[in-house]
Amino acid sequence: MAELALRYSRLVGANPVMVSVPRGGVTRLHLPGEDVKMHLVKAVLKARADEGEELELLGAATAGLDAKGRERLRRRVGVVSREVGLISSLNAWENISLPAAFHGTTPLAEVAELAQSVLERFGADAEKFLARLPDDLDPLERRLATFVRLLVEAPELALFDNIVAGLTRPERERVKEFEAEYRARLPLGTLLYVDTQEAAA
Amino acid sequence: MLQPLREIEGGIKLSLNVAGRLGQLRRPPVLESFLRQVYFTGVTASTGVVLRASVLGALIIAVTLDVLDADVDLAVKMLLWVVFREIGPLAAAVVVILRTGTAISAEIAMMRVSGQTRVLRYLAINLYDYLVVPRVAAVMLATMALTFYIQALAVLGGLLFSPFIINVSFMELAGRFFELFTPVDLYYSTIKSLLFGFAIAACCCWHGLNPPNLTQNAVPMAVTRAVTQSAMLVLGINAIFAYIVFGILFFGLVKATQ
Repeated sequence: MAELALRYSRLVGANPVMVSVPRGGVTRLHLPGEDVKMHLVKAVLKARADEGEELELLGAATAGLDAKGRERLRRRVGVVSREVGLISSLNAWENISLPAAFHGTTPLAEVAELAQSVLERFGADAEKFLARLPDDLDPLERRLATFVRLLVEAPELALFDNIVAGLTRPERERVKEFEAEYRARLPLGTLLYVDTQEAAA
Repeated sequence: MLQPLREIEGGIKLSLNVAGRLGQLRRPPVLESFLRQVYFTGVTASTGVVLRASVLGALIIAVTLDVLDADVDLAVKMLLWVVFREIGPLAAAVVVILRTGTAISAEIAMMRVSGQTRVLRYLAINLYDYLVVPRVAAVMLATMALTFYIQALAVLGGLLFSPFIINVSFMELAGRFFELFTPVDLYYSTIKSLLFGFAIAACCCWHGLNPPNLTQNAVPMAVTRAVTQSAMLVLGINAIFAYIVFGILFFGLVKATQ
């Protein structure tokens, strides 16, 4: 049996759901409703299942975890979602480097190098981009900044929550390149897209 | 009745939490936030109070001499006991409440309402470590520095301008001032200003993190509560501390021993 990156079930509410995501590849989930999607995203973000839910992340059951164990698990997961946006009082560089600087996981020189190469790959002037506040970035740029922050964290499981919502067609095409960038930098990582059946249609 | 109790309990918990987490200032983003806050509260506020503080001392002496028909000795005592011990720290606290307290409570309440505190939690960043500890530590330090600055300017202003009002030289006034000055005056105002800074920052952070609801309207409500309660806390600390150290309340109107 293939090892799972995520196993989630929610058997309460109008739309019961059971999800299994194998490790390593790219999985696309079209969930029955916004409510179900939000419960899944929040459970992954908190590394905690609510009542009526079950959650296993990267092979670990979250039910018996204490706060520290949950935090350790959470740091192995990255999410690009409107739920996890940017901090408005920090510029793009501070937003991107904040988790690494706070936890001391990656040297800032490495973060700067990574940010510069990814931003240039997506056609942005890194120096100007990184100095701007989130309010000065357009929706695609904000998503790009969140994606770079995710890459800095190098998560084993990356969850893209309705990543193209609110973008124009050309912007959606650019966002699709995030997948290739993630696969190139973290070939062993698991990439999970979640959206609703309505959004997918 | 429950709300004030909840606020007192929350304030005590927050204070204990901050005291136990000061070591977090070593983390680079926390240290950066601390330095920014020191700059905003201490440095940028200081330029605006130069003239006001130096006029304060002269004004107190002028009023004392005019109203009370006081002599030089009483004028210098007023400068030390009223301006240095009481008005200086209180003036600094007022500046900090109006400039920094409002900014802190509004910023944190806005982050809370717009879901940015949730983002920090998801990034495994402790809100106390990143938002509260650097602000409380910085405001304490900056309030102390601002107090010294205002005291120095007010006393100097009083000593410099008084010779124009009364027939006494600057050197005579300064000499009398340093005769009366004791280290207790310095310790008293230092500890008091640190307590003022702590109370203001802790109160404003608590109200920022606990707005009455999560709508945009909650931000001004949180700021109003933070400012009002900070002012009350400062006045309370001032009264209690004066009583503990000097055995007097309200500038000597109430005394511990007769």
